[in-house]
Amino acid sequence: MRKAGIILFWAIASLCVIALVTLPINLQTQLIASIVVVTFMAVIKILKAEGTWRLTALAFGTAIIMRYVYWRTTSTLPPLNQLENFIPGFLLYLAEMYSVMMLALSLFVVSMPLPSRPSRAASPGKYPSVDVFVPTYNEDAHLLANTLAAAKAMDYPADKLTVWLLDDGGTLQKRTSANLLEDQMAKARHQELQVLSEDLGVRYLTRDRNEHAKAGNLNNGMKHSQGELIAVFDADHAPARDFLLETVGYFEDDPRLFLVQTPHFFLNPDPVERNLRTFEKMPSENEMFYGIIQRGLDKWNASFFCGSAAVLRRQALDQTGGFSGVSITEDCETAIDLHASGWNSVYVDRPLIAGLQPATFASFIGQRSRWAQGMMQILRFKFPILKRGLSIPQRLCYMSSTLFWLFPFPRTIFLFAPLCYLFFDLEIFTASGGEFLGYTLAYMLVNLMMQNYLYGSFRWPWISELYEYVQTIHLLPAVISAILNPRKPSFKVTAKDESVLVSRLSEIGRPFFIIFGILLLALFVTAYRVYTEPYKADVTLVVGGWNLLNLILAGCGLGVVSERGEKSATRRVKVTRRCEFGLDDRWYPATIDDVSVYGARVNVYAKSIGSLAIDTRGLIRFKTHGSDTEEILPVAVRNTQVEGDIVTIGCLYLPEVARDHSLVADLIFANSQQWTEFQLSRRGNPGLFRGTLWFFGLAFYQTSRGLAYFFSNRGARNKARSSAGATR
Amino acid sequence: MIRPVLLALTLLALSNASLRAQTLPFDMTPERPALTSPTEGQGENGTTEQPATPVVEPVETESFLRYILPDGNLGLTGEFEDRTWSVYLTPRQAAAGTKLNLGYQNSIFVAPEVSRLSVEINNTEIADQAIRSPESVTELSLDLPKDLLKPGSNLIRIRSSQRHRTDCSVQSTYELWSNIDAEKTYLSFTDDTVKTLQSLDDIRAIGVNESGLTRFNFVVPALEQPGATIPLMRLAQGLAVLANMPNQSFSFDTSSMSASRPGEMTVLVGTATELQAYLPSLPAGASSAPVAGFVEDPKTGSPVLVLSGPTWQAIRTAIESIVAPTDVVAPIRRDVITTQRWRSPDAPFLFSDTRLRFSQLGLNTGEFSGRRFRTDFTIGVPSDFYAAAYGEAVILLDAAYSSNVLPGSHIDIYVNGSIASTVPITSSGGGILRHLPINVTMRHFRPGVNTIAIEAILATEDDTVCAPGATGSDTPRFALFDTSEFHIPDFARIGQLPNLAAMAGTGAPYGRSLEAVPLFLDRIDADTLSAAATFLGRLAAGAGHPIAIETVASPAMIGNRSAVFIGSLSQMPQMIFTQMNIAEASRNTWGPDPGGQAQGVDTQAALNEWRDKLQGGFLNGQITMFEGWLKRNFDITLTSLRFAATSETSFTPSSEASLLVAQGPSPDGTGTWTIVAAPTGKDLHENMLTLSARANWEQLAGRVTTYQSGTKTVQTVPVNAFEFMQTQPASFSNYRLIAANWMSTNILSYAVLLAGLAVILGLATATLLGNLGRRQ
Repeated sequence: MRKAGIILFWAIASLCVIALVTLPINLQTQLIASIVVVTFMAVIKILKAEGTWRLTALAFGTAIIMRYVYWRTTSTLPPLNQLENFIPGFLLYLAEMYSVMMLALSLFVVSMPLPSRPSRAASPGKYPSVDVFVPTYNEDAHLLANTLAAAKAMDYPADKLTVWLLDDGGTLQKRTSANLLEDQMAKARHQELQVLSEDLGVRYLTRDRNEHAKAGNLNNGMKHSQGELIAVFDADHAPARDFLLETVGYFEDDPRLFLVQTPHFFLNPDPVERNLRTFEKMPSENEMFYGIIQRGLDKWNASFFCGSAAVLRRQALDQTGGFSGVSITEDCETAIDLHASGWNSVYVDRPLIAGLQPATFASFIGQRSRWAQGMMQILRFKFPILKRGLSIPQRLCYMSSTLFWLFPFPRTIFLFAPLCYLFFDLEIFTASGGEFLGYTLAYMLVNLMMQNYLYGSFRWPWISELYEYVQTIHLLPAVISAILNPRKPSFKVTAKDESVLVSRLSEIGRPFFIIFGILLLALFVTAYRVYTEPYKADVTLVVGGWNLLNLILAGCGLGVVSERGEKSATRRVKVTRRCEFGLDDRWYPATIDDVSVYGARVNVYAKSIGSLAIDTRGLIRFKTHGSDTEEILPVAVRNTQVEGDIVTIGCLYLPEVARDHSLVADLIFANSQQWTEFQLSRRGNPGLFRGTLWFFGLAFYQTSRGLAYFFSNRGARNKARSSAGATR
Repeated sequence: MIRPVLLALTLLALSNASLRAQTLPFDMTPERPALTSPTEGQGENGTTEQPATPVVEPVETESFLRYILPDGNLGLTGEFEDRTWSVYLTPRQAAAGTKLNLGYQNSIFVAPEVSRLSVEINNTEIADQAIRSPESVTELSLDLPKDLLKPGSNLIRIRSSQRHRTDCSVQSTYELWSNIDAEKTYLSFTDDTVKTLQSLDDIRAIGVNESGLTRFNFVVPALEQPGATIPLMRLAQGLAVLANMPNQSFSFDTSSMSASRPGEMTVLVGTATELQAYLPSLPAGASSAPVAGFVEDPKTGSPVLVLSGPTWQAIRTAIESIVAPTDVVAPIRRDVITTQRWRSPDAPFLFSDTRLRFSQLGLNTGEFSGRRFRTDFTIGVPSDFYAAAYGEAVILLDAAYSSNVLPGSHIDIYVNGSIASTVPITSSGGGILRHLPINVTMRHFRPGVNTIAIEAILATEDDTVCAPGATGSDTPRFALFDTSEFHIPDFARIGQLPNLAAMAGTGAPYGRSLEAVPLFLDRIDADTLSAAATFLGRLAAGAGHPIAIETVASPAMIGNRSAVFIGSLSQMPQMIFTQMNIAEASRNTWGPDPGGQAQGVDTQAALNEWRDKLQGGFLNGQITMFEGWLKRNFDITLTSLRFAATSETSFTPSSEASLLVAQGPSPDGTGTWTIVAAPTGKDLHENMLTLSARANWEQLAGRVTTYQSGTKTVQTVPVNAFEFMQTQPASFSNYRLIAANWMSTNILSYAVLLAGLAVILGLATATLLGNLGRRQ
């Protein structure tokens, strides 16, 4: 009853706002109202007011956006009888309306995200049995060893925990392939992984045929196991020791719970972060999703399965026939089915696994293409808004998640719309300068402020636009093909173990340079037209300004596709852990400064050892997490650096037995607290103004870097060609 | 030379007191040469110059003329002008009309080889001549084909196409003009008996004088008898509606009866006995039954409209025979506002969402080869129009421009002379505009007739070069098609009080009153009645029907009904000053200053002067600059930033003002009170006469309008605070539009309301989200 009253009151308030914003007031009034609202929002933002004020600021923004939509719909579309203007004009209108709709959906999702849940440790003595599934397809044994070791090392009663390596790379189908090479590789892999599993105490499982990709593999695992709960980790996602203890408790609370999802934390930067060098100081792209959107979804019981780092209930999966495999994003699809049959999900906002993400731009795009195509398939086959069994908020949440991937369309339109005017003199947006100021500029400002308000410390200004832009060029055809042939896309495993050792242009970077060239040309056209057509300089300047914004984004995109070479293949994690360094049977007191999956840096207190030869064998002795026994990990010295009494030694692990993998895993993955700290260290909202300035600076630098790569690359190729010609 | 003399005569004629004295000077001697010249100079385009000195000739030889220009001299300006209106002729006049005399003079810059003046009557072209009269007024005597003129309305159309002799700039087109001389432009007749009027329908043929004025001269012996006022006012209104001339007025006299001049009509009202002395040849039945009809005055030979009967009761019946046909039974909606006596076609009356093709508005498809094309049309909006602040009408323009029109050319829309929209032509190589939407702000719309002009400024390379003869090129550059449309959306409709513009435009709110409107006259004499009749005649013509009135002896009897007060300000009841917010001190102080100089210092002017002096301060300068920038670009002034209307300040008429029209609410706010006042009765009569002329009357607006006879200017005091008067059935869509207009006027209210609602929505959302979904 009370709830109905609140809904009624809210509906009335909304209707009043709608009635007010759809009044056909004059431009002066609109201008003043815009200024007042923008000022109000700015003040609220500057005061960092939270809670109710946050929603008030959002309501302000919504009012201005609704006014914009009303005005845009009623007075800016080109007349229907000018088809050459109307068609592109209407496309632009649709693109804008899509953006507004997405903003509305995300407002719904994240306007009041659930606060991080307090730790819900599993009750001692009531531990359900858990099967850990690590599906693999082509990842190498070294990577798998770390993951499996970490999984095995999780704090959980050993009799309740079974770790399964689900190998799809060594299936009977592959081992008997007509392709000789594939056949031999599969056989070798089958052999190697069986041995590794044996060593680590892990169950190895493969199947006859590679049906239904990852979903099929997981279902095969389910067929062979009986645990109450199923934890899924990707081959490169190593869990922290406390993963299970932090997650299984929720299943006790809610018998209808099917999923506890945790965030994906990555040890290495994605290609954008790597090439722009923002990994250390700016929140990662996925933090917006895991840091706020999943929390928002969780409020509406719509947090969904992300393929890894999650625990699921077997009983629930059994009910819907296991993991769904219609789409290539089986995770989200499984979640939607289970949500629709009345099961619940929970999101734990704390990184409990650490993994790798694609290192090259090409594989990054490959991964995103899979997500986009999979979401298109879900949109097509499940159409969440009409899906029976889902609650209304869940429908909206899933619509938000799937429709998001249509962004390549509006992004393309926004990219090329200014060119319609600059190159072809089409007038696809009819508005005067004053109207532009009073409506469009206010809308854009409010939009940016709202984004900053919603995601401020998780996503800096213009970064969303940059990510969308760099994905758009290759995602657009992928999305179109998925829309046209929803059954065609097939599951492709994203390669994550590549590394870029030499600076080079991405193999799929060419279109970015072409687009940049076109936009640059448009900039010159703008200047030319302002000069030669002074009577419409105002319109030209506005459109030219828009194009300039696109150009800045495109320039920054050049930096993204210019792959920086990196010496170390993987990222180092700061740990600071006491240990002893063993050299020639002597033990020196030392601390481990940072670690990576391949090696560690150790500060040794030793006056005498001096500089060491490369490949000198050494030992690191340390206590594993949560135990008192000391264990020894063999290493090889790669470099030394003497500074007073402290010698800093960079060393490479030399794992010899399975236990050594567990020690490496313990060094890197045992302590999940350090990941949280790392994330928090780069979370900070620079604010709209500073963030924009920073971005423009970054974009300028990246443009020049991209162009430098482009020309040096061409120069190198030309030289190679000419030298080849000379030798011939 | 002729003109000043005439003007003096006209001014004399306007003075009621000198009516009798006019008979002698009024023999219109200056017209003799004008009349004879065309016959002599015919075919030579008026090559013979007539001596300008008036030649005194006997009155009997004056032949009858019908001047045709409705507003006096007609200026045809720019490169293209097209005027159409109608003239009402009696059957006799139609049969006997044989010649149209037209006198004009043009600017020296008009190139005669390529400039044409054409005249059409009833769509038959009777002249198409080169414009070649820069030196003096040339008269054309144009023969009219037989049967061209019809009894009733005859459409007259004058078109000019003028080109500059040497200059190709747009600016130069403003130097082009031809002035049609009203005094020399008339229809003449073979038969002198045409001035005889016969049926009551012939009242419409009253016509205009050489200045475009129309006057009904009432001669009423029993003028001051209280019972006569109501029927006389009713008669005046009926005549006003029948004649519906643009500049018509009424004057009352008790005694004298003079010869009617063109544009004048004598109306004799009284019982048979009362009239005996004035008109020996009174119709026979007058002593026994009501009589209404024309009689020839044997003394002057002019027709006199006589309304008589044995008693005033019978006279009322006689008056009804004229007025009753103009009555409307119930307040019905008019489709048009009749304007054809000065502008044809009539203005369509628009009440709600309407689309009109240009062809329906009297515009024709036409091509144009000059550089500044201008044409216009009229529409009418109702008195409860309330969309000036937010509203936008749309012109869907069908037009074309040739390939040599350069980008940078533009098409401008003017509403009542104020710019309302500009559409730049931005592409070169010519173009066809198909239903191009042009938003036209309604800011300058006002109740009643509105003129909307379309002007195309066309720049070409040829004009920049301006080779000899380039101005005369007849290659079309621009074409306007009559398939273009004018679209007015539904607009907010609610009456506002005070709103003199609504009263001037459509007689609102009196025209809608179902009961008799109380009329308070401070005294009943010729001056006051003349002013009252002229004023009421104006209202009736605006409303399209006579308004029932009743006279009240004391303001106490009015209560809260809508009423009209006419008289000298000093005699006005005290309530008036409070309700109209007029300083009561002006009751005694208003009037021309004996010294001729303003005694006190005008506070506002002095303040402004001081402000200008102190403009030096840096901050002040910045603020002023910012204010200017806001004003220029967004039409926002710091005073327009307001939450709601501030209350009115008290108004004191200046010493220059000679007539004041003010409006305010009745004490409880339900009725509309209008006051027409002057310092003296004589001022009242004379200035009402001038104010009632169309050019002045259309400027009536705001809450107070004053007329300054010294400078011949109309000044208005804008409405600040006003009350709404419901005129339409309650509907959500209308209230929504009213709110839009109100908030567009009170800008800050919108911002504050939006902010307030957003806070409420924010709170509501917070509560909602706190209660829905998971919380923790």
